[in-house]
Amino acid sequence: MTRTMGNLKVTMIDVDGDTHTFDDVEEGISLMELGRQNGVSGIMGDCGGGCACATCHVYVDDNWMEKVGEPDEIEFAMLDMVADVMKDNSRLGCQIRMVPELDGLEVTVAPASSY
Amino acid sequence: MATQISQDRTSERLDLTPEQEGLLEQGSLADTTIQARPHEYYTAMRHGDPIHYDARLGSWLVTRHEDISAVQSDPVTFSVQHGYSEQQARGMRDEFEAYLREHGGGYFPDAIMSDPPYHTRIRKLMEQAFTAHRVKELEPRITEVVRGVIAEVIAKGNGKCDAVKDIAIPVTIRVIVEQLGLDHGMEDKISRWSVAVTAQIGAMQSRETMLQNAALIAELQQYLIAKMKACEESPSEDMISDLVHAEVTNADGTKEKLTFEEAVSLVRATLIAGNDTTATAIGNLFYVLTTRPGMAELLESVVDDERQLNRFIEEHLRNEPPVRALSRMTTREVTVNGTTIPAHAHMLLVYGSGNDDETVFPEPRKFDITRQNLGRHVAFGGGPHRCVGLALARMEVKVAAREISRQMKNMKLAIPGSEIRYTPTVATRTIESLPITFEKR
Repeated sequence: MTRTMGNLKVTMIDVDGDTHTFDDVEEGISLMELGRQNGVSGIMGDCGGGCACATCHVYVDDNWMEKVGEPDEIEFAMLDMVADVMKDNSRLGCQIRMVPELDGLEVTVAPASSY
Repeated sequence: MATQISQDRTSERLDLTPEQEGLLEQGSLADTTIQARPHEYYTAMRHGDPIHYDARLGSWLVTRHEDISAVQSDPVTFSVQHGYSEQQARGMRDEFEAYLREHGGGYFPDAIMSDPPYHTRIRKLMEQAFTAHRVKELEPRITEVVRGVIAEVIAKGNGKCDAVKDIAIPVTIRVIVEQLGLDHGMEDKISRWSVAVTAQIGAMQSRETMLQNAALIAELQQYLIAKMKACEESPSEDMISDLVHAEVTNADGTKEKLTFEEAVSLVRATLIAGNDTTATAIGNLFYVLTTRPGMAELLESVVDDERQLNRFIEEHLRNEPPVRALSRMTTREVTVNGTTIPAHAHMLLVYGSGNDDETVFPEPRKFDITRQNLGRHVAFGGGPHRCVGLALARMEVKVAAREISRQMKNMKLAIPGSEIRYTPTVATRTIESLPITFEKR
């Protein structure tokens, strides 16, 4: 069920290594919502976008990190709960909303925290 | 994301000691001794028979972390709606329902305890109220509430209190009273109502106690209905008013108002869910602070470091999860980790055991705030039914921990540990009363 209203492009590499390219992404949608609506493996979004569960964790492509920006304190606290898979370019997908400046964004879905 | 469970996955069963074998044969989660001190029973199940049929309860107990995760990610095969409904006033459900229709203004099925796709739209509505960022805005006010409650206890001047009845329960009730816009001075009633609602899923009621609890629930519903009718006429700035006037968005984008029945059930669920469980977490915190060597010192050492304090709280929720087990019901015959469960069977996801799974959390009984995978604990469940109020719960427990550490010291249990009573229920692990002594810091 890809949204067809927008014209922004996003590339997501899912947790199995498969690449999903969306070129009709609407402004305002979060990466968690985009991933969940399209069944991108590894994006669960359990808490519904509340920045409260870290099940929509992505690594932002290095070239995009500056535009996407750093997590705030609340988001960092959640990422710290999956510290074993957290990296410098970690973000929660629910906290990244698509805007024209992010047209072309590339992210990789992070693996679940370890056993 | 709902994923259908994989039926060909099996993981190794471990050999049990003769004691563990005996425990599996004789034990039951319906046994109040096991409810109070459950870890050995959990370990025996988790190692030897991870999907264990508890004949006395008539429920399949899911005890390994991997299986709990798999089950809760498939809300279609494992129905919350049927599981919750079956567990409610188990064996006396018709009488319970009839009682509420006659005395409680109606029977209002829990709209949030439902299955997709209906659940999805109700859930979305509730999520908006509980994001971590909205909850953060509440922190200064909640800090005031907690300070007030602890100050009252200290002001008594005798260095004694019941940490559960004088602190844990009043704190959580005052927070929810403000959030929902209920009346002050109702705290005792709200506490009794909460216990009555939770008892309906505890699987431990006789007919007599079921009816006593039903009478309290009827009273609660009558109170909420009157409040909600008043909000219908004149809206106010609180969550009851938000829910009375709420619209849900359907999958096709159209909007629909909640029915009054749905709204009553959601106000009731918010009142109860955010109350008993959070109070239990704070009561458990006092328990570990007063009984485990080094815990009070550890808390003191992290209390001014937000990151470490967050880790302390998360490890506490893993180590002493307030919710022990919640229900599911199979909608078809299904094999989970090598065990075949028939259709329409009742299951309990035993979070208390999942959080102790040594394959995920090495040395699970150790309190270790440096764990790198703390976020994997299942104290809040997981999947599409993960606790919607989790950010608020975490914050309340964190603020309580901070204020306890800043205002109280030398806390000691005032009764022998063996005399601590737990609420008889399979649903939570709740200390009923915890007399302590302390000094003002």
